[in-house]
Amino acid sequence: MSKGDETARAEVAESAAPSYELGAVTCIYGEGRTLVTALASLDLTIGSGEFVAVLGPSGSGKTTLLQLLGALDRPATGTVRFEGRPLEHLGEAELAALRLSALGFVFQQFNLIPTLTAAENVEAALAPLRMNGVDRRQLAGDHLKAVGLEPRARHLLTQLSGGEQQRVAIARALARAPRVVLADEPTGNLDTKSGEMVIDLLGSLHRELEITLVLVTHDQWVAERADRVLRLDDGRLTGDSVADRAGMTAR
Amino acid sequence: MFYIRFLGAELRRRPGRTALTALGLAVGVGLVVVVSALSAGLDEAQSEALEPLTGVGTDVRVSRPLSQPKETGAGPPDFGSLPEKEQRLLRKENPEGLFHFEPSELGEPGERFTELQTLSSELSFPESTVARISRLDGAQDAAAALSLQTLRIEGEVAAPGTVVNPHTSYDITSLNVTGVNVEKPSLAPVTPGQVTKGEYFARTPEKARDEAIIDIGYARQNGIAVGDRTNVAGKRFDVVGLSAAPVGGTASNVYLELDRLQRLSDREGRANVMLVRADSTASVDPLSREIGDQLPGAVVTTASDLANRVGGSLVDAKNLSSKLGTALAIVALGAAFLIATLLALSSVQKRTRELGTLKALGWRKRLVVRQVTAESVLQGLLGGIAGAALGIAAAAVIGALELELDASVAQAQSGGIGAAFGQGRVAAASTEVVLGAPVDIGLLVVAVALAVLGGLLAGAAGGLRAARLRPAEALRSLE
Repeated sequence: MSKGDETARAEVAESAAPSYELGAVTCIYGEGRTLVTALASLDLTIGSGEFVAVLGPSGSGKTTLLQLLGALDRPATGTVRFEGRPLEHLGEAELAALRLSALGFVFQQFNLIPTLTAAENVEAALAPLRMNGVDRRQLAGDHLKAVGLEPRARHLLTQLSGGEQQRVAIARALARAPRVVLADEPTGNLDTKSGEMVIDLLGSLHRELEITLVLVTHDQWVAERADRVLRLDDGRLTGDSVADRAGMTAR
Repeated sequence: MFYIRFLGAELRRRPGRTALTALGLAVGVGLVVVVSALSAGLDEAQSEALEPLTGVGTDVRVSRPLSQPKETGAGPPDFGSLPEKEQRLLRKENPEGLFHFEPSELGEPGERFTELQTLSSELSFPESTVARISRLDGAQDAAAALSLQTLRIEGEVAAPGTVVNPHTSYDITSLNVTGVNVEKPSLAPVTPGQVTKGEYFARTPEKARDEAIIDIGYARQNGIAVGDRTNVAGKRFDVVGLSAAPVGGTASNVYLELDRLQRLSDREGRANVMLVRADSTASVDPLSREIGDQLPGAVVTTASDLANRVGGSLVDAKNLSSKLGTALAIVALGAAFLIATLLALSSVQKRTRELGTLKALGWRKRLVVRQVTAESVLQGLLGGIAGAALGIAAAAVIGALELELDASVAQAQSGGIGAAFGQGRVAAASTEVVLGAPVDIGLLVVAVALAVLGGLLAGAAGGLRAARLRPAEALRSLE
């Protein structure tokens, strides 16, 4: 058996496990009187390859949930397992390595680096990987091409529209071939047309690349594109429904 | 290399912050360069001022001045007030009668007379003493010199009983003459380095026999030039060179070859000044003490004694530079470091989201800190180079201004026999030196290193803050 086969089998085994399993997760911010419970005893499983939308008003804990899933934060109590591995046992460097190898992020404010060009922003995600400059630039160019921004590669962010910037962010999130992409209100700063283009792009990449996509939004139309919609209210899961494309069906 | 491109992009595309940090450090470093250059310039000026005073190679100057009469006042000093022993010694030294000036003995009343005397305000010693001193431990070499005053008095013999005011009745010319051992030019009261026009003496007593070097100030006053002939004690000499005035010690109008002056003044084999070179700086002090013991009554002056006696604007400037200048440089550098640190911290604060995003992208803490620190260090380097350029420019301006500083040496001894007829001694010498501000490579390297250090400190502060950023909080912060 060749080494390639082994890796392939391992990947199959990995993808067989759910992307996320959250058990009794509680997140608390602040202290004393300003104490805020962002998530309260949340149980949740997200399967591999799912497209999940998280809906809820501001302050409902959506972003907190996304940060837990992104290994950017730790819960006060409870466990978060990623592909079967409990994250609480991982140190900061291991979490960084996990984010580098498996996770991609898309933010409401794009969070691109303003001093870098579009292509360099994609390269920033590849920089910590050991690869030579030519390959890195090639890969960054390929990903910009995939989001339709190849001609804009050398442009600075100030020369790009909001929709274009978010597409750069998507190219950056996908540059390292992550298994999960986490998007925090990716349409929040965009007009409807650009927003739709971004959601379409994310949706098609999700299908093509078979990645798990978790998308936080408060737009109903965005949520309707997802396979599954979670509703959060005051840090509690108040709804979990699977879309059958014909409409929403309660689970 | 992506990190380097990122670094370049950050510095290039945030020109305001880069310029401000670099400029802050540049001003601090520039001040350090200027102050150091100025202080080096002042040191050079001081050694330039001191050099002619001691001779290039002289560490110790020895003479035996007469003890001072208690009171000095106007009019002819009362030589009788000198201690009996001093008078005896002087009489022995000046057999022709140093104090003896009685015009009535020079002719009949109404007759013109010309009287020539050579006087010494210092007790002489045999040249063999010099040889003995040069064999002392710690002494490398010693040379003898003879410093005299020649007085030429012309006038008319007055009728007996007339009160004569020597200032108005006689024509008195006084000349300070020093005999120099031409075989040891570096240990001479006038060194080749002091000769500003013409040449130094021939290097053998025979060839230098008729040569004279004239003090440039005296030459100017009397219209003497190189190639002229001048009259000293009734003999003619060829003026071979003009020399810059020494700052201290015994200034002389004319320098002659030692043997010749000894014979002219009937002091064969005698000297009254000894210049000694120590074999090392450490042996200067023990050597001076030993000389003092060997030669009773000797005044032993070391180069550092003279340095301590130097006064004038040179010294004021030096004090100012060492106190105020250094303080200013330290304050400026401290302020520059503080500015750089605050800017680095504020930059991290402003880029919280950006740095948090990098962490979210999987950049490890170390990598983020490295990036932030490298930015700061690079700004420090830019600031250092700009500061060095600023410092060089400021130093060049100081050099171009050609500021003149004067240095004078307070005389350890004053009065003396030359005070006869109110001629006085050559005044406490003072010299003017042009202030430069030399910048050396070592200083520039230190300056740039300081700026890089400032950048490193600022970067460390910024990096530390960046390291403490939790990515989740960093992403929550809104711009």
